Amino acid sequence: MDFSFSSDQQLLKNSARAFLDEHCQPATVRLLWDDPRGESESMWKEMAQLGWHGLSLPEAYGGSGLGMVETAILLEELGRAAYPGPYWPTVLSAAAIEAAGNDAQKKRWLSAIATGDARATLAFLDRDLDWDPAAVTTRAEKSSKGWTLSGTKRFVPWAHVADVLLIPARAPEGPSLFLVDPSGAGLKLSPVQGMDLATRWVHLEMDSVPVAGDAVLGAPGQAAALLSGLLRRGAVGAAAEMLGAARRCLDMAVGYAKVREQFGQPIGSFQAIRHKCSEMLLEVENSHSAVYYAAWALDAKAEDHELAASVAKAYVADASRKVCGEAIQVHGGIGFTWEYDLHIYFKRAKALEAMYGDVDYHREQIVRRATR
Amino acid sequence: MDLNYSPEDREFRAATRRWLETNIPKQELKTLDERKAWHRKLYEAGYVGMLWPKEYGGWGATPMQQAIVQDEMARVSAPPAINGLGIGFIGPTIIVHGTEAQKKRYLKRMLTAEEIWCQLYSEPNAGSDLASLKTRAEDQGDHFVVNGQKIWTSSGPIADWGILLCRTDPKVPKHRGISCVLLNMRQPGVEVRPLKQITGSSLFSEVFMTNARADKSDLIGDVNGGWAIAQTTLGFERGGNALGRVTRYVTAFNQLVKATKELKRGGKPLIDDPAVRARMGRIYADLEVQRYAALRVLSALQKGDAPGAASSITKLSYTEFEKRYYELALEILGPFGQLMVAREEFEEVDTSSGEPGTFATAFLWSRAGTIYSGSSEIQKNIIGERVLGLPKEVRADRLKA
Repeated sequence: MDFSFSSDQQLLKNSARAFLDEHCQPATVRLLWDDPRGESESMWKEMAQLGWHGLSLPEAYGGSGLGMVETAILLEELGRAAYPGPYWPTVLSAAAIEAAGNDAQKKRWLSAIATGDARATLAFLDRDLDWDPAAVTTRAEKSSKGWTLSGTKRFVPWAHVADVLLIPARAPEGPSLFLVDPSGAGLKLSPVQGMDLATRWVHLEMDSVPVAGDAVLGAPGQAAALLSGLLRRGAVGAAAEMLGAARRCLDMAVGYAKVREQFGQPIGSFQAIRHKCSEMLLEVENSHSAVYYAAWALDAKAEDHELAASVAKAYVADASRKVCGEAIQVHGGIGFTWEYDLHIYFKRAKALEAMYGDVDYHREQIVRRATR
Repeated sequence: MDLNYSPEDREFRAATRRWLETNIPKQELKTLDERKAWHRKLYEAGYVGMLWPKEYGGWGATPMQQAIVQDEMARVSAPPAINGLGIGFIGPTIIVHGTEAQKKRYLKRMLTAEEIWCQLYSEPNAGSDLASLKTRAEDQGDHFVVNGQKIWTSSGPIADWGILLCRTDPKVPKHRGISCVLLNMRQPGVEVRPLKQITGSSLFSEVFMTNARADKSDLIGDVNGGWAIAQTTLGFERGGNALGRVTRYVTAFNQLVKATKELKRGGKPLIDDPAVRARMGRIYADLEVQRYAALRVLSALQKGDAPGAASSITKLSYTEFEKRYYELALEILGPFGQLMVAREEFEEVDTSSGEPGTFATAFLWSRAGTIYSGSSEIQKNIIGERVLGLPKEVRADRLKA
């Protein structure tokens, strides 16, 4: 039983921190707010060179064969930096292709993803925003050349920069997952920005989009379990990012409470502020336990890995919202300004809260497993 | 990172489970003698004094093994060992700070529960500000004469010995005039009065000392050196029951699930009510996180990392959780949740929390956790100062010192 990081894992964390402190400062994030793509090509390439994109891919495709714990370590640091870009959607899509793809599909995409030459994303949500993979309403109909897809996908992260879209749709056989070319005919992409200007979503309208017969990932009708697994993996990754954002906000609040003086003393000496910071630390440490337990459980295929993923997402969503919000409170007025950086992380945590299953969805998953 | 139990730990768990199956008392233990007999049986099996060094009668086991035993005992609701304060905190304090003569005289009899121990720390006017305690011990050459009052003393009426914090020099700043001494509870100058708590039971007591005698040979450490010793004592107070505690929460959760399947609203079981499900999902996530955090603490203990001030985070976390947990249970159970004893005419709804006592009992007890062993507010001060490095507050007593 060892809950601490190995020396290699600690090294990965340190090098990620160092890289992002240099290349992904708050000023970098702010510059990309107005960028139509919203990400930095050079940062993306450098991350790929560091081996981040292929971290959990097999060595045959240029990966390092590491697990979700290492991925979560990276994602926590990315969250701490409020990194803007399609890292997690791409890596999660790669996991889908690796898990269910045939040799040709793997050859086509995995090496390209590992080298940073391809971006990918997964469209979980249909028109009704139902996170249940079995509830997919987008239709896949058989055609002479393969399939045609019709329907609406909403809040697809970073689809505007993706080279391939992973689209769940209901085939006659049942829920299926398709690899779709974003420049294909009948496909309309419209970008959507929320309050976090560095999180980019895209709405997809599909009107009889032709898809080749060999573009199904796995067997048609068999995607429900695959998608449930991907949603859980996505949730753990998002929880790691939220944890990073929360820790950043806690650090900023504590740092500020040490130097900001009122009534002739640092405000951190007042119990009202100190107790708030202690409660924030409690939430951050519990979130750390939740994220890395879930990541380990996924890697180890532990009996409770499904439960743990939902626990991590539901718990850390609440915790990070609280911690980032309280950081604003500790700062007072300055924390509410556009110039101060806190809102970057506050909004990032909020954006992630709504992704890969919201709190209600995951609580329901928890109850189902806990009351059996 | 590897959260699998080692093969040795798994084997140890299986052996513990087998031992408990054979040896668990078939009937409720009623008298102190019966509880002492069960305690001795546990001790002889190696399940008491597990972390103590072998030279003092302990078993030199690992924190993980200790946690496994507590967990297995919780799983079958086995009656606990007694003398927990002695074995958990007072004995280790004597091991660290005591003389050879003290170790010889007290430790083995503590382990076997031949002598029961209590802790004489808090006073009516010295709670969170423990260092302001007023119980006086006057130096009479070979002994001290003790006068004063202690409160919140667990096991007071059955205790043979107590570890006492007393003021030996009232003229110096408060932390520097406190001594730590072992006090014989079986003497005319010591009177114990049970204190009834909001649960209706009397697990605590008040202790009055009137010209009580404590031998100099029973002084722990130096005269006026008691405060530092009290700090180590408090430090031993956390960790070992981490898994057992969570197992008890799970037992209670399963009881709650059973009840929500029995109770109906609008003709449907409560468990199908989305509002109830959402709250149960939230609390179960919270419960699981307590489990992960417990594993994290155990992993640190196992590696020999002293948790130090970080143990304040653990204590704050689970005691505050317990309040939220039992509050929710009582909300869901409605008036059923307020029954202090399970009633036969309501037998279709089991209001017991799985432990001795009902959800109402557990709910009331949950108010104690955030007060004893350093209240939540004190824990937050410790976390703020020692973990986060926030500046100390300006306090009237510090200005004076």
